[in-house]
Amino acid sequence: MKQTELIKIASNWFQEKNWKPFPFQKKTWKAFLDGKHGLLNAPTGSGKTYALWVPIVLQYIKDNPNYKEKHTKGIKAIWITPLRALSVEIQQSAQRFADELGTGLTVGIRTGDTPQSVRAKQKRSMPDLLITTPESLMLLLASKGYEKMFKTLTAVVVDEWHELLGSKRGVQMELALSRLKTVSPQLRIWGISATIGNLEQAQDVLLGMNQSIKEHSVLIKANLNKKIVVKSIIPKKMETFPWRGHIGLHVLDQVIPIIKASKTTLIFTNTRSQCEIWFQKILEKYPEFAGEIAMHHGSINKETRLWVEQAIRNESLKAVVATSSLDLGVDFAPVETIIQIGGPKGIAKFLQRAGRSNHRPGEASVIHFLPTHAMELIEASALKRAVKEDVMEDRIPYLMSYDVLIQYLVTLAVSDGFIPSEIFPEIKNTFCFQGITDEEWLWCLNFITMGSQSLQAYDEYKRVIIDENGIYKVESRQTAMMHRLSIGTIVSDAMVQVKYVSGGFIGTIEEFFIGKMKPGDVFVFAGRTLELVRVRNMIAQVRRSTKRTRNIVSFMGGRMALSSQMSEILRRELQSEADHKRNTPELKALSGIFDRQELESIVPGENEFLIETFKTREGYHTVFYPFEGRFVHMAMSGLLAYRISLLLPITFSLAYNDYGFELLSDQPLDVQEVLDNNLFSTDYLFDDLQKSLNSTELARRKFRDIAVISGMVFTGYPSKQIKTKHLQSNSQLLFDVFRDYENNNLLYIQAFRETFEHEMEEGRLRTALERIATQNIIWKQCDKATPFSFPIITDRLREKLSSEKLKDRIKKMTLLLTK
Amino acid sequence: MTHLIQIRKQDFILHASGAIFWKNQSMLLIADVHLGKVTHFRKHGAAIPLIAAYENLEKLTEVVNYFQPKTVCFLGDLFHSVLNSEWEDFTKWVEYIKSNVILISGNHDIIPQYLFEDIDVKVLEELKINNFYFTHHPTEHDTLFNFCGHIHPGVKMRGIGRQVMRLACFFKTKNQMIFPAFGNFTGKYILEPTKEDEVFVLVDDEVIAVS
Repeated sequence: MKQTELIKIASNWFQEKNWKPFPFQKKTWKAFLDGKHGLLNAPTGSGKTYALWVPIVLQYIKDNPNYKEKHTKGIKAIWITPLRALSVEIQQSAQRFADELGTGLTVGIRTGDTPQSVRAKQKRSMPDLLITTPESLMLLLASKGYEKMFKTLTAVVVDEWHELLGSKRGVQMELALSRLKTVSPQLRIWGISATIGNLEQAQDVLLGMNQSIKEHSVLIKANLNKKIVVKSIIPKKMETFPWRGHIGLHVLDQVIPIIKASKTTLIFTNTRSQCEIWFQKILEKYPEFAGEIAMHHGSINKETRLWVEQAIRNESLKAVVATSSLDLGVDFAPVETIIQIGGPKGIAKFLQRAGRSNHRPGEASVIHFLPTHAMELIEASALKRAVKEDVMEDRIPYLMSYDVLIQYLVTLAVSDGFIPSEIFPEIKNTFCFQGITDEEWLWCLNFITMGSQSLQAYDEYKRVIIDENGIYKVESRQTAMMHRLSIGTIVSDAMVQVKYVSGGFIGTIEEFFIGKMKPGDVFVFAGRTLELVRVRNMIAQVRRSTKRTRNIVSFMGGRMALSSQMSEILRRELQSEADHKRNTPELKALSGIFDRQELESIVPGENEFLIETFKTREGYHTVFYPFEGRFVHMAMSGLLAYRISLLLPITFSLAYNDYGFELLSDQPLDVQEVLDNNLFSTDYLFDDLQKSLNSTELARRKFRDIAVISGMVFTGYPSKQIKTKHLQSNSQLLFDVFRDYENNNLLYIQAFRETFEHEMEEGRLRTALERIATQNIIWKQCDKATPFSFPIITDRLREKLSSEKLKDRIKKMTLLLTK
Repeated sequence: MTHLIQIRKQDFILHASGAIFWKNQSMLLIADVHLGKVTHFRKHGAAIPLIAAYENLEKLTEVVNYFQPKTVCFLGDLFHSVLNSEWEDFTKWVEYIKSNVILISGNHDIIPQYLFEDIDVKVLEELKINNFYFTHHPTEHDTLFNFCGHIHPGVKMRGIGRQVMRLACFFKTKNQMIFPAFGNFTGKYILEPTKEDEVFVLVDDEVIAVS
């Protein structure tokens, strides 16, 4: 069949539905049928599923002209989604098209939620389209005979590639693709990405370094221009608006009318804890919403999540409080209203959320932004500016992630085994490992076979063995099983399942939260008040409780930092404030706080760099305001603390946010001395930064993930009770062991490199320091904490750095007694 | 390096390694060494540097040389798991030192008793000498003072300027002394002392009383 005829089949189907294919869809169909690889830039809800599923089916029709009579077996395509929640949606639309064309093609899902029986069936006979996650794909590569299974594959589509790109899941995907390129000769690789600043790079990372693939690829942009209107919810009484905090409940009363006025509302929060709290408080204050609102986050059980998603589609709920679990995909029809609580920190994420509202053609999407503390109002103002100027962030891909590589190599060893000379070229062709040297490759092989770089007497290390044919494989069944359970790059705390004593699964929460409680204690989770009965085998048994409690479940979880693009806009926004323009409603609303800041200190202008010092009960605070975003502040605070600690024995506690950072100490700091010693200099920057990193906790924290991903720390699996107690250690201990005995270990070094590249952004730091060098430094000795300093000094997430002797520090400290 | 205390009129020297020397009896007490742990992990594919395993025996040798005790008594969890190559090193160590060796069995000690007896290490469930009662798990006794391990105790210290530190310690209540873990590849469990408890933290080769 000719291409035009094939496309006609699809167009006809669209016509029957009274739809019209978008130009980007047709473009993608053609490119795919021409055998091209590529990246499709299209937002959620734009019909991207049909842009790529249609040509996969058409290709099948082309290859099997009598497709209506006879079904050809074997997997045709893999559809990767970063979130399990998205898979049902894609399955439904894909199955519909396949059925209505009478192709007999089947669509299956395989994720962590898929029952064992279904998985076993799939392995015997794969569906034609498999919808899965990067982790589940890796698990398939860890099973015997995968090469044969994937031979018939014609396409891999990586949905929401922008979400995977800036994480190690992206690296995992790169590695999986590097293998499939070899085992599936007809493979076409496609990605779908929302708009990000580095789309071209995103395409390179996805497709890898093979010249032939690169030359045979396209980037297709949907270019669906959508107008977005940002409305800030400005507190009626600014005086009572807090200076810090991230929950935002004080404006609850102003949110209610918005919910009431619209048919359906999505309320996006930044964390699961915040989501729980908001849900609880709305019901507490407005019980009339009972049964009309629901909550959606990653720790709630799957049935409830699916039910909520369905309810959003049916418009049977008035409002849903959600986290990023509803961010991506979940292609429900747009809801009427979107509310964002707290700074979204990134423009792309914000726009994606905004895009969830009301897309009637030609009409703008509206998003209400609710700042949780006063300073966030500036962010609101900056966000508006960013939307107007069409600013987009980059997603920085990971490079040389040895931990993921090691995990991948063991995965291959668990299945059919591998021969290094065959795999190495594949690895070198990925974007992530394009720079890997022969020595580094050898290091990784030694690591998995000997657990060190040279064979040692009496060593009993066992993981991957080399058989007589030179094939690297895992022989021990226990090692294989433990490895399968540990595949993945998302490292979370140990999870505990929450179940009713009578059975009935409610969800999972982190062990640290349950660990603080005793039987009989009451807590709120998934909108229910529960009493802990007992904890057994990683299952917390609970019963309903009628007691009232403020103990709402909390989750750990990283905080996001303002992107560089956002911080620049924020600085400019503040600038206009220093010039007393107050030209947006948000800045106007902040007048009181700005006045207060000016009274105690100043609002720094373009050529001014503000440093404030004051004393509180906690000690001596020195607060700096570069307005460069959290990451740069993190690096700069460590750098400065380190350089000061060379001048005198001193101990600092460091805190930072998107606006500035604080050095807190038990002794006063002479800012003049800091300035006289030129401590903001860019000389020896890299060196000093490295040393400051050694003395803080940052690299240590990074190392935690690396230790788990590379398989040095086994975290087990919540629902499977395996006797691993003797194998449990923590990464902190491991970090110390490496530091003391093997500090040239590539995984140990990787922790530092990742901190530089992904947390500190050394390049940005240098630019910031150079900028500071041209500014007037204004040192204000204040009587008390200023409005600008407040959110920083009250932050409890801190780093420390010390040049004092441990013994001397202990002598000044007191023992923490039981309460 | 050391800190002398008296318990029931007997002299005990707390050592920065986590050991205690009972002067009157010339007995060195040590808890939770967890020998063989590194090798156990390596056997299961976790590549912890092997050199970390040697460190424990070196540290044991140092503290034995320092006190020259008549008896060395391990308060349980001497070995982390089943037999592995670290056992050989331990056997040589027992031969090398001149003291008698006693092991009070802990929950991790699953190596058969006869193997210990073959190398002249006496294995006991518990031990009573005069007013003192030696066990692995903390065990209250009506009249005797209990020495024990198992917990791997640590405490949290707090200072001005939001300083917080967690340190391994000897943890003494009225009738009990809990030892810190001696092994280098072991964690600690944070306890919250009451006003009556005495805490001695281990800091850079020193034992410091902090309560």
